[in-house]
Amino acid sequence: MSEITLAGLEKRYGDTLAVEDVSVTIDDGELLCLLGPSGSGKSTTLRMLAGLETPTDGEIRIGDEDVTDRPAYERTTATVFQDWALFPHKTVLENVAFGLKMQGMGKDERREQAREMLERVRMGEYADDDPMNLSGGQKQRVALARSLAVNPDVLLLDEPLSNLDKRLSEDMQIELREIHAELEETFVHVTHDQDEAFTLADRIGIMADGTLVQVGEPNEVYENPKNRFIEGFLGDTNFVAGEVERTTADSVHVETELGREVVLPRTAGADGAAALAAGESVALSLRPEVLSIEPADAATFDGEADRTQPVRTDGSTTNAVVGTIENVLYRGSTIRYSVAVEDTSLFVERTVADSGAFDAGDEIRISWDGADVLAFRDDGSRVDL
Amino acid sequence: MHRERLENALFRAGYLAILTFMLLPLAVVVVTSFAESGNLAFPPEHYSLVHYRTFVEETHWLLAFDNSLLVGVGTTIIATTLGVTAAFGHEIDDGRAGQVLAPLVLIPLLIPPIILGISMRVYFVRAGIGASYPSIILAHTLWATPLVYFVMRSVFSRFDWQLLDAAKDLGAGPIRSFVYAVLPNVKHGIFVGALLAFIISLQEFVMALFLSSRSTETIPVVAWTQIRQSLDPMVSVVSTFLIIISLIAIVIATIATNLDWLSKQLS
Repeated sequence: MSEITLAGLEKRYGDTLAVEDVSVTIDDGELLCLLGPSGSGKSTTLRMLAGLETPTDGEIRIGDEDVTDRPAYERTTATVFQDWALFPHKTVLENVAFGLKMQGMGKDERREQAREMLERVRMGEYADDDPMNLSGGQKQRVALARSLAVNPDVLLLDEPLSNLDKRLSEDMQIELREIHAELEETFVHVTHDQDEAFTLADRIGIMADGTLVQVGEPNEVYENPKNRFIEGFLGDTNFVAGEVERTTADSVHVETELGREVVLPRTAGADGAAALAAGESVALSLRPEVLSIEPADAATFDGEADRTQPVRTDGSTTNAVVGTIENVLYRGSTIRYSVAVEDTSLFVERTVADSGAFDAGDEIRISWDGADVLAFRDDGSRVDL
Repeated sequence: MHRERLENALFRAGYLAILTFMLLPLAVVVVTSFAESGNLAFPPEHYSLVHYRTFVEETHWLLAFDNSLLVGVGTTIIATTLGVTAAFGHEIDDGRAGQVLAPLVLIPLLIPPIILGISMRVYFVRAGIGASYPSIILAHTLWATPLVYFVMRSVFSRFDWQLLDAAKDLGAGPIRSFVYAVLPNVKHGIFVGALLAFIISLQEFVMALFLSSRSTETIPVVAWTQIRQSLDPMVSVVSTFLIIISLIAIVIATIATNLDWLSKQLS
């Protein structure tokens, strides 16, 4: 049983609060990714889990045991470090056998087990090599084998893939998933790379400024972010500033810097909109994937009609603006257009395969369903529409 | 380009001249040790090994060698232990105590040894160990520890501290993680620090003068008393031995620290 519970975890260095009130329960066998920008406290949280840092407040439980004050060498966790931290004066095999040696296992037995673990990560032929002569990907495998060799209840991974190139990192993500599926151990993986987190995680915990902002399954945190920080951090989006004009029974009308009113439908039961006062400023998030574009001259565009259009029975509203393409950015499989709309600009994307590429200077119509738009208050909290 | 090379050559020549001028007395010492006559004169009129024979036969010189060796080894052990652990502790806990430690450790090097010698003489007599081996060893340790400490600070600053974390994480307690993860990676640095401590002790004179008795005199102290009586080539013989010991130590240190580098170059 290796369920992990963090309760009110805090780490303070002098006057700086590195981690503040982090509480989460990690299920047995789960792979949790702590995702956040650098300095968000995710590595510190992981180090506290490992026992390499002592929390200034709060509690850590692994299984039924309170391990808050237990040092790293008495915990059943094993860490894969960012720079892998292989012992330079030992061979690859001795590195992997080190944990077993510390457990007091006899020489032949531990070498045998270490060899098996090296085979498992496909590094068997490098057993007698100097780890310093290995490539990044190989060091990574050895570090993983060394941590797995002690048969930990919890494997902690501190950005181990961040020093690998993109392709190698993606291969390792798949391998890590496979190893996790095979071992059924609890993994906590720290990363600043959202693609990595989305690929690996059963659940993602998003950290910012030392706090754990939201924990949830990948699609949940992406589609249902708790605040503006998460919406901006995960994927790319356009934030459009606006002011609430009026609220009706089934919609919220927002006057925006796009020069048009945007109509957001309200869901029955949600009470966030009721608290919105007319004149309150909000930020709307328009993700490029919800924006459709077409040439402006082909569109039957009537702004006034859009403005008065009520919310449809399926809960959707149509919103549209016309803008001029300023920049065309080729990003491999997609093309990104930066479009000037009134005093601001929106970016939209098309896949290369889509027919009809636009050029700078073209006028296009951008339209979207109001139901796909998220709104955030000035303090960053999301409006429950 | 041409000018630059000329300037380089001139600088090197100048540097070499100064270095030679400073080191020449050592050569004089070595040469005079082979003099036949009983007066210290350079260059000697005749050469012989007569003073080397006297040296081997005179027990108080051999006793001084034993004393120096004993004091040197004692100083090395204590100063290295203190210096290494202090630097290690400072590195893993860089708190308020650490900020005070560095200047504090430096103080013995800033006080003139004659003052240290006199005060320690008074202090150690009161403490009941008077003029004995321990008192000389402690005095030399006071000097050698800061040097070991600063050597180790620089060694530890290049150490990858994640290795210590990794060892602890894999189940090694405080002592075993130090022995298995830290020590193998800083052993050359420790060796150099220890050697430095030994040489400091070997050549220290002022404090040893105040703190030694007839039976615990180290080489520099015996040399001093000898010179005060008569300036004879025996002092040169002893000095030659000291120079040889120091040279051997430096060669060993160079080999030890560059062994890895050397083996990498050869493979």
